[in-house]
Amino acid sequence: MRSDVQPGLLAQVATLLRRLAGMPDYEAYLEHCRTRHPDRPVESEAEFYRQYLRARYADGPTRCC
Amino acid sequence: MPSIAWILVALAGAAGWGVIALARGETVNAAWLILAAVGTYLVAYRIYGRFLATRVTGLDDRRATPAERLSNGRDFVPTGRWVLFGHHFAAIAGAGPLVGPVLAAQFGYLPGTLWIVFGVVLAGAVQDFVILFASMRRDGRSLGRMAREEIGPFTGTLAMVAILAIMVILLAVLALVVVKSLAESPWGVFTILCTIPIALLMGFWMEKWRPGKTLEASAIGVVLLLLALVGGRWVAESPALAPLFTHSGVALAYGLIAYGFLASVLPVWMLLCPRDYLSTFMKVGTVCLLAVGLLVVHPHLQMPALTRFVDGTGPVFAGKLFPFAFITIACGAISGFHALVASGTTPRMVRREGDARLIGYGGMLMESFVAIMAMAAATALDPGTYFAMNAPLAALGGSVESAARAVQGWGFSLSPTEFQALTHAVGEQTLLARTGGAATLAVGMAHVFSRAFGEGLMGVWYHFAIMFEALFILTTVDAGTRVGRFMLQELLGHVWAPLGRQSWYPSSILASALIVAGWGWFLVQGVLDPNGGINSLWPLFGISNQLLATVALCVATTVLVKAGKARYAWTTLLPLGWLLAVTFTAAWQKVFSEDPRLGFLAGARAVEAKVAAGQVAPALGAQLAFNARLDALLAVVFVVVTLLVVLSSAREWLLVLRGRKPARVTETPFTETAYAQ
Repeated sequence: MRSDVQPGLLAQVATLLRRLAGMPDYEAYLEHCRTRHPDRPVESEAEFYRQYLRARYADGPTRCC
Repeated sequence: MPSIAWILVALAGAAGWGVIALARGETVNAAWLILAAVGTYLVAYRIYGRFLATRVTGLDDRRATPAERLSNGRDFVPTGRWVLFGHHFAAIAGAGPLVGPVLAAQFGYLPGTLWIVFGVVLAGAVQDFVILFASMRRDGRSLGRMAREEIGPFTGTLAMVAILAIMVILLAVLALVVVKSLAESPWGVFTILCTIPIALLMGFWMEKWRPGKTLEASAIGVVLLLLALVGGRWVAESPALAPLFTHSGVALAYGLIAYGFLASVLPVWMLLCPRDYLSTFMKVGTVCLLAVGLLVVHPHLQMPALTRFVDGTGPVFAGKLFPFAFITIACGAISGFHALVASGTTPRMVRREGDARLIGYGGMLMESFVAIMAMAAATALDPGTYFAMNAPLAALGGSVESAARAVQGWGFSLSPTEFQALTHAVGEQTLLARTGGAATLAVGMAHVFSRAFGEGLMGVWYHFAIMFEALFILTTVDAGTRVGRFMLQELLGHVWAPLGRQSWYPSSILASALIVAGWGWFLVQGVLDPNGGINSLWPLFGISNQLLATVALCVATTVLVKAGKARYAWTTLLPLGWLLAVTFTAAWQKVFSEDPRLGFLAGARAVEAKVAAGQVAPALGAQLAFNARLDALLAVVFVVVTLLVVLSSAREWLLVLRGRKPARVTETPFTETAYAQ
């Protein structure tokens, strides 16, 4: 699953912050597409972001009291 | 950790409790409170948490999680356990664990602290963990859907109605907390108003100019927000600008209602999503800062362990220690709302089943710790200041001098000159009757921060704390209105199919307007209430949140019974029974008590008597009496709905246990993980 190029420290911190806030991670999506579905077309970052927003806010609360 | 370390942890926790137990007539240091809490959490996590993980639920690291099986790089993403722990914590922790303990501090620091620590270990963390487990074994299904599939369609619909009703009360009371902390405060209003253009800027940045660059936009947002905070002082001191941002509670309430409607109708990328990110980073950052600040300052607790108000005569809210301490502190000990998050985004991101113990059980322990910090910050304040800020204006009178007399009558002392100096130092015009807890917590946090990180900045720290609370409360209001809108659309879709289409404009506008009107009604009612609103609405919120927890625990128990784990069902039945006792007693007292401050019906009669005696204007009196009866009706509806859920669940358990119904497990079938063990 891991890419053979080690990401830099800054990129790792960025991933951590994104995951913490529940932000979309386009790099992870690209990685997922490359390893799981190399035959399928890949969404652009803008399209990926739109799809993510739909999935995140469409059902159920994301925040508590 | 080696066992010698665990013995030390246990001894440290025991030492904390020992100091708290033995200190009588002298002040206790907040450090002992924190030591006792953390020691208890760690031991409970190791012993009870492991028991729940291995015996009760049987987490299995060989079983592939939904994040692995359904991985799509989007919402189903396998995520490391510490990162997901942080994410889950940021999603469950909001204003609840901060405000509840501040209000419950009127009983003294001890009752709230005991309930927060032991409640979380035996109830709150158990609920969050078992629901997370159940949802994780069912491809990340929601609580409502699990209720329908595990117990029955009738219960599922009831659960959904209950969730919707509770959401309306929750949003109203949270909005009331914000209004109470921003009324007549130009500094606070300016800072919070600035968050709207900042969020719009971030939204356009992420959607239009630099699509998907969420971290860039958030960094810009945080910097602008801090500038707005500092700029607020300048606005408040300017004779020309200050009046523009000085508004009464009623005006702010209507503004908030209009804003909530817009946020629900506008696309998520414009307002909701950017505010969501902004408040997450502010929340995590500030909680860490508060922990460091408390460790550095480790203040003495000025509030006694128990106050005389355990008899139910307290000015902050009416009602005796039992059941109202356990109603006032919901989040932090157990919160039904968490069950919605634990069956939402989190179960779709768990990488290995075994991680669920840290995320579900551990995440809730962390929220409890936030509640303990809030309790420490509030009780480290001088009790006179605490009561002058939290009692309603009706009890305090209009001036600092009359407040000082009232506080003296309650057995504490308040120096008018010192209180004025404090008001001036935090840059406010008045701190009297700032009910709702947010302002008190902000003063407590400002004390801690200014002593830890730099004296003389009280005003900035106070408004930083107000901004931090208002920011994530408003995010909850945005998100909650939207979720409520979706749920209402789904229900309305059963009446007339086109109304069920989420993106059909007439339907979304109608549903948003209905939800906003629902919570807006209770919000305005709370602002107009001469007793401060919190006295009637916060208990209603506590009762509804705890009743949602009973629904969640019913689902959790059903899952255990059907999985053949009936002998361990006491783990969820124990908190269920306790919550039923607490909420039903509280609801009964809130409706039928003869004390007009406590019972809604008696309150309505008292208002009508005042109208007859000419002490209250007839129009206002009629509205107050109507509101009180409406609150009573709502409490009855909550109790009836919950009772139906409990009874239909119990029937299901008995049918399964007596063998009249097959114990059918609806889990997704076992697939072996591809991860290395």
